[in-house]
Amino acid sequence: MHNVRRMTALASVLLLLSVLLVWFADSRRPQSQALTPRMTGEEEYCIACHTDLPEISPSHPVEIFGCVTCHGGERLALDADLAHSTMRGGNNPSNLSVVEQSCGGSDCHSGTVEEERDHIQRVMTSVQATYTGAIAHIRYTFGAQPDQVAHYGIFNVRDTEVTTSTGVQSLEAFDPSQETNPSIQTFGETCLKCHLSAEPPEGAAFDRLTGCAACHTPDVDSFPEGNVHQLTTAIPYTQCNTCHNRGNYDLRSMDFVERDDNPTDRFHDYYQPIAQFTQCEWTLDCIDCHTRSEAMGDGDIHSNQSEIQYVQCRTCHGTLDELPLTHTIASEDDIALRMAFLNPVVNLSVGDTVLVTEQGEPLWNTRVLSDGTYELVGKATGQVFSFSPVMGTQCTQNADEQESSYCHVCHAVDR
Amino acid sequence: MRPNFFHHLHPPTIPAQQSRWRYTLGAGGTAVFLLFVLAITGMLEMFYYTPTPEQAALSVQTISYHVPLGGLVRNTHYWSAQLLMIVMAAHLIRVVMTGAYRSPRRFNYLLGLVLFVAVVLLNFTGYILRWDQGIQWALVVGTNLLKTIPVAGDALYVMLIGGSQPGPATLIRFYAWHIFGLGLLVVILTGWHIFRVRRDGGIAVPPPRLREDDARITRFELVQREVLAMILITAILFILAIFFPAPIDAPIEQLTTMANDASAPWFFLWVQQMLKWGDPFVWGIVVPLVVMLILALIPYVLPQAQDAELGRWFPKSNRLARLVLIGISLLVIVLTLLALLPGS
Amino acid sequence: MPELDRRDFLKQATRALLSISGLLGLGGLARFFYFQTEPPSQSVFDLGPATAYAVGTRTLLPDVPAVLIHNENGFSALSLVCTHLGCTVESEASELVCPCHGSLFDEQGNVVRGPASKPLPTLQIETTAEGNLQLFLT
Repeated sequence: MHNVRRMTALASVLLLLSVLLVWFADSRRPQSQALTPRMTGEEEYCIACHTDLPEISPSHPVEIFGCVTCHGGERLALDADLAHSTMRGGNNPSNLSVVEQSCGGSDCHSGTVEEERDHIQRVMTSVQATYTGAIAHIRYTFGAQPDQVAHYGIFNVRDTEVTTSTGVQSLEAFDPSQETNPSIQTFGETCLKCHLSAEPPEGAAFDRLTGCAACHTPDVDSFPEGNVHQLTTAIPYTQCNTCHNRGNYDLRSMDFVERDDNPTDRFHDYYQPIAQFTQCEWTLDCIDCHTRSEAMGDGDIHSNQSEIQYVQCRTCHGTLDELPLTHTIASEDDIALRMAFLNPVVNLSVGDTVLVTEQGEPLWNTRVLSDGTYELVGKATGQVFSFSPVMGTQCTQNADEQESSYCHVCHAVDR
Repeated sequence: MRPNFFHHLHPPTIPAQQSRWRYTLGAGGTAVFLLFVLAITGMLEMFYYTPTPEQAALSVQTISYHVPLGGLVRNTHYWSAQLLMIVMAAHLIRVVMTGAYRSPRRFNYLLGLVLFVAVVLLNFTGYILRWDQGIQWALVVGTNLLKTIPVAGDALYVMLIGGSQPGPATLIRFYAWHIFGLGLLVVILTGWHIFRVRRDGGIAVPPPRLREDDARITRFELVQREVLAMILITAILFILAIFFPAPIDAPIEQLTTMANDASAPWFFLWVQQMLKWGDPFVWGIVVPLVVMLILALIPYVLPQAQDAELGRWFPKSNRLARLVLIGISLLVIVLTLLALLPGS
Repeated sequence: MPELDRRDFLKQATRALLSISGLLGLGGLARFFYFQTEPPSQSVFDLGPATAYAVGTRTLLPDVPAVLIHNENGFSALSLVCTHLGCTVESEASELVCPCHGSLFDEQGNVVRGPASKPLPTLQIETTAEGNLQLFLT
């Protein structure tokens, strides 16, 4: 009897200890900070741990969008493994395999041309994602197809409505193992790293992510663990160069030779020695001239990037006989105004006149001045450049020879 | 001392020899206490749990992570349930290994077996209530097993899950079975079981003339021991609950999509292992039923312990019964281990 | 004695009557549980235009679950529901393996290794007038 009493006393101590442990464990629970984004109205506890993340962009305020709309994940879980178990695309929800649910979710960037929401549809059919040019060209060169029209892409894709003369109806997925020519097989093994869904190879100078973030999340290498939380439409030329100036092809070994230097001087180090440039081609950022339909696709499947190079020298400068095309902003809903709003480097308003491509796409960062000259504002730099039309100058160029190579004859800068 | 209500639930005195831990293992009493804990924690969970496919897993996450001490409640419920299975198995083994199931306790032995099955089903229904990716395949396999029963299978399937495939009706049915259908059954059977213990003469001992030791302890002492056991079990449950949280997984997206985990709950691993061998009706239903039948027949067909052998471990006369139980236990353990082997 | 016999008869009769009531009650319970609140599950799946599936491809249809095969002989579909106990089988190399109990099927759905004894069923595929593919579960 006494023995039991003593044991009970000891057990009471144990019980008290375990109850204290319970209280201790409960007090150490992360302070459940919840965020209820207005878009979903469902509380999310992500910020219980992720307290110091910067806002991803002014267009995606966290109070409206929250985290889960883009990233997925278990919004209620406070256990890291469970919370992250259902995230879309790991660190990068814009990866093309999940982009339709993340960036395209709630019909944000996925939809019809009329609503201007077809971003994902355009990207998925663009050469940046399909890689048609390289595949078609290599297959043509090695005799696997009679012309340079694209039949294969990185993935199979269809276009419901072909709007341009060079548009292709559909692509089948390129399968190198089905090819008979060994060079095409080697190409398939080593050269498919440059499209938007490919994980780029290691290389600090060339860091990029996949999907939308490959372009819209620049400067990944400046963040130590790649945990950059930023989306922007002000994309500097250095970001384009993470793919477009990354090295050189070796057609004998059918390989891609990465450059191992870290170029700093844009004019002298960056581009291939034989390339010729006019002043604007190396002082402006790529996106100052190349429009979004060039960069993200125009909705059609093209066989080659040259088919969607809509901006030429004459787009801004005109020819001897014609001034460049212009467009006067008529309403607040004008696409030029909407784009200028996203990247407020210019003060555009209704009544202003901007340059447009032949397809009617506005170069919203340009403006026609009252004296007949033009002005362009760098989208990534904010720098202001002024320029004049060709008409009325001493230029002797033929009207039907307007590709840049003709202009380079006189106007290339000395490297 | 004046006996209070709890003292009165016990007989005035019980034989000292047979009241020791090392004889009873305290298994029966522990099981009753765990049932009590399960009822309390389960009731608390009901205040937050939402039995709909969209909300179930999310409400489990809410209980686990956001309700103050909710995680403790859920983990304690989980661990009580797992311990209850083990304790009941220990109780069964003790009763067979001491020959205590002998007439007149044969009926109570059967009641105990039914209780055991009911608790296994409670455990399974509770597991399904998580409705997350961790239970997805156990649900599909467990319910499809019913379909393999000849003639009545398809009807039984519909009666259990309430439709042609698992869905909202299934979850609400499992919820109802877990809390009332099975819960109430276990409460009633437990009351009956305890009543029969008293009716059958308390703990099994040799008749007075054959007894070596006539010493007895009072109900006061018995209750004191029970209090000690309850305190210890509570402390153990809390410690388990804090350091080993109950399993949880992401909500089920789609019942046809393969989830990462395809293993059965641990107490059904032995059945899952047998299912790999072929005909699901034979291995998944007939064999487990035969095992239960053999267990149920032990007091009726196998030699029993003699009067003088009662009240101690390993009576010579019921050797065969003991061997049968050891055989069944080894079978279950080996099958479970096989199922746990990587790559199996 | 006739008196006792009558008592006996009454007792037996009462028992029998009560048993019948009890059995009817059980039957009622079974009927109660047999009601189905959900509509039967979807049995026709619209797969969109046939041209989206190139010759020589196998397309996973996770909602069904099934795999759509397009070869020289046209379209066919193979159910991915294991014939053993209904788990969804997964593609592994050129075989289909069930994660629950280890059944193995070849690409055509034939059993390579048990416990499953029946091959994966072929599902009916039809092309509509508009050129859309439809899959029938039954």
